Order: sequence, then C-alpha cells, then structure tokens
Amino acid sequence: MKHYEPKLVCFSCKFGWGYLGDEIALSRQIKNWLPIICSGKIDMTHVLNAFKNGADGVLILGCPEGDCHFQDGNFEAKKRVYLLQKVLESYGIEKERLRIELSLDPEGKSIPQLVKRMSDSIAPLGPVKRVKERADAAPVV
Amino acid sequence: MAEKPKVAICWLGGCGGCDETIVDINEAILRVVDAVDIVLWPVALDFKYAHVEAMKDGEIALSIINGNVRNSDHEEVAKLLRKKSQLVLAFGACACFGGTPGLANLRTKEDIFGWVYRDAPTVVNPKGNAPQAKYSMNGKTLTLPEFYEQVYALNQVIPVDYYLPGCPPPPDLVMNALTAVLEDKLPPRGSTLAPHKALCDTCPRNNTKPSRIAIKDIKRIHEVEAEANTCFLAQGILCLGPATRTGCGEACININIPCRGCFGPVEGVEDSGAKFVSALASMIDAEDDSEIRRIVNKVDDEVGYLYRFSLPVSILKRKRF
Repeated sequence: MKHYEPKLVCFSCKFGWGYLGDEIALSRQIKNWLPIICSGKIDMTHVLNAFKNGADGVLILGCPEGDCHFQDGNFEAKKRVYLLQKVLESYGIEKERLRIELSLDPEGKSIPQLVKRMSDSIAPLGPVKRVKERADAAPVV
Repeated sequence: MAEKPKVAICWLGGCGGCDETIVDINEAILRVVDAVDIVLWPVALDFKYAHVEAMKDGEIALSIINGNVRNSDHEEVAKLLRKKSQLVLAFGACACFGGTPGLANLRTKEDIFGWVYRDAPTVVNPKGNAPQAKYSMNGKTLTLPEFYEQVYALNQVIPVDYYLPGCPPPPDLVMNALTAVLEDKLPPRGSTLAPHKALCDTCPRNNTKPSRIAIKDIKRIHEVEAEANTCFLAQGILCLGPATRTGCGEACININIPCRGCFGPVEGVEDSGAKFVSALASMIDAEDDSEIRRIVNKVDDEVGYLYRFSLPVSILKRKRF
C-alpha cells in the first residue's frame, strides 16, 4: 500500500513564528503554510473551508499565552478551537485533526517539525471522508 | 382584459407552516388573488401537476416554493416549476437552508429507515416491511419516489432567484415580497428579501447587553428561569442573535425564548455556525484550559444548535460516516 501522508494546513502568527526566518525557504518545506498576523484573526470559516477542500488536519500556531501583540488574540483563538473541535466531532471529523499550539519560534525552524509531528499523529485516522457533491448541482444565481 | 400574472405556490419537504403563513397575511390575500392567477397550490387548491406540465416554459411569473428537497419527487416538482417560471422564490428556512429537517444530514438513510420502520419503540412491524422505490407484484410494478442520502436546500437543486427565510417567514415580509413582485420593484436577483443586519441590532434587549459579555457557565433555556428583559447571552443562555439575520419581528425573544437561527446567516456570511463559534468563544470568561473545556462541554449538541436550520448549506454540509 502506498504510504499515506495527511494533507495539513498550517496557520501561524507572524508575531511569534518565523519572522526572522527565510519565509520563502520555509514555505518550500511546509505545504499549505499560511503566515498571518495574529492567530485571533483566523476566522473559523477558513478552518471549515480547509476541511471541506480536502485538508486532513489544521494546525494553528499562536504566540505564547500572555504575549499576544493585540492583547489576547491567541487566547481567543484557543477558545474558538476548543469550541470548533466539538463542532467538528459532530460532523464526524475527529477533534485531533484541529490543533492549536501557543509557543514561539522566530526562526521558524520548528514549524516543519511541528507539522510533521501532527501529520504523524493523525495519519492513523486516515483521510477525512469526502461528501459526495451532486454532479448536477445547480449554480447559485 | 390583460391576463393576470400567474403564481404557483408549492411545498416540497416542509411542514405546511409556510403555506399557512401566506394565509396569515389575512385580508391582504384578497388583493393578491385579485392581482394574480394562482395556478398551483397543493395545500389549498385542486390543481394538478399535469396542469403545470401543460403550460409553456416561463408562463408562470413567480413560483413560491417552500420546503427542502429530500426525495426524487421533490426534485422533479422543483425542476418542473423552475422550467415553467420566470422567477423562483425560496420561501422559508427549509427552502433557503434545508431547515430543521436538514438535521437529518447527521444520519445516514439506512439509520433513518432503521429507526422509523424497525427500531422506534412505537413501531410494530413484525415482517420488517420498509418502503421500496420499486416493487413488483403480479406482473405490475409500483413505484415510490426515491429517498435521497441527504437533504438539499432548494438552490442546491435548481437556480433560485430570491430568498425569503424564516420558520415561517413573517406575514409583513411575505406581503413586502409579493408587493415587490407585483410592482416590479425587486432587488437584484439572488437577494434575500429581508433586512441585512443581525438580530442583535434590532433586539429589544440589546440595551441590556454589557459592553463585553463574560459568561462563566452555559445554560439551556429550560434549566433556568430567564429574566424577561435581559440579553440572553448576558445571562449565559445561548442565543443565536449575533449570527442570525433579523426580520422575524423578534417573535421568539418577545416570548422569552432565545433566537434559534431560522433566518439564517447575516448578509454576506457563508456559514453562520462558524461566526457564532467566534462570537461565543469571545464571551467565555475562563482562564485555564480545564475551565474553558468545562464551559465548552456544557454546549449540548453543537451542530444541532449552531445549524438547527442551516445544516445542508453549512460549509461541511453533512456528517462524515
């Protein structure tokens, strides 16, 4: 059997992660990497859309607790993640597939490792099952 | 005499409450029937689908369709009306978003049939009969519509021109919509014929909302006696007002029941559940992990709560099995 590698999407806050590193070199190593400004900016719509479009896991990297540039964006993100994990479970998507880590790595060297570690941990779950779309689905006017 | 515009009113997978609300415009309905010819209304009038089939394409000016698409019969009727109509109005939460019956997307077809025809305690079915789409007996074949794997909102099956949400839509918005059609004052196609703001914007309890809501516990409406004039969320009772379109006339709020989201997402929002997650998370007032988890775990049936009326049009649409 072919080796299965989960598709991961990684959001990371630019204030804590990889801002000293070479973004281009890093993004070659990390597939679907989205550096953003503040983890609190991540609308849960994007996380749901990631899963809808075939992601098997979503990793959010925020700044350490108490160290948010905008007071408490990372903390808000954490609460959202906990809530959304429960929502995902009701949809039949295991909560392990959405993870948030609040830490710091200006060089960003640990990001590929964190992605790899999450990828390894959710690999046994297999891919998220796809929902069959209607072939003749009418476009929204 | 110029011919009056033809209007069809039809229900698919709905409860009939939407047909009821059309009658609830009271005397105004007399003005409506003066101005239009109703050519189909299964709940109220004895026209047959064959009458519609005999019409020319686009002969019907407006089709008001309520209910979702659950089986092949619904789909056939929806497509027939689309073909014969210039305008299609998705009427009510079921047609717009799938409605409460859309929660069936959390189960499989087998699961639903198993419960309804075998496992429910009230079922007596020793032979284990269950409906088949096709059944042959004595050389004759009987057919029933095919029950689909999931519930669809109307716009997932046919193109829809206008939306009027609500469970059911309130009579004033129904009348506004009908007047707009009759006077040809409709907004651009694809519009929802309801206000664009969130319910909180028009809620009579809005002024009791603190500048930052901080809740230490989540309660359900039957567990507490809700204060009559205070913001539900400030009391720790889940209310979908921040993520739901207004226009309902605050019908639930006025009888001391929190919003359940029948008007669907606010203008421009794709998935109201995701937005409510953000809103609710910001209200949770807890410091450490275990406390956040404890409060989060107090939310019972998350998807059922966040998407009570809109699961089929939510981003993830249905449960993965």
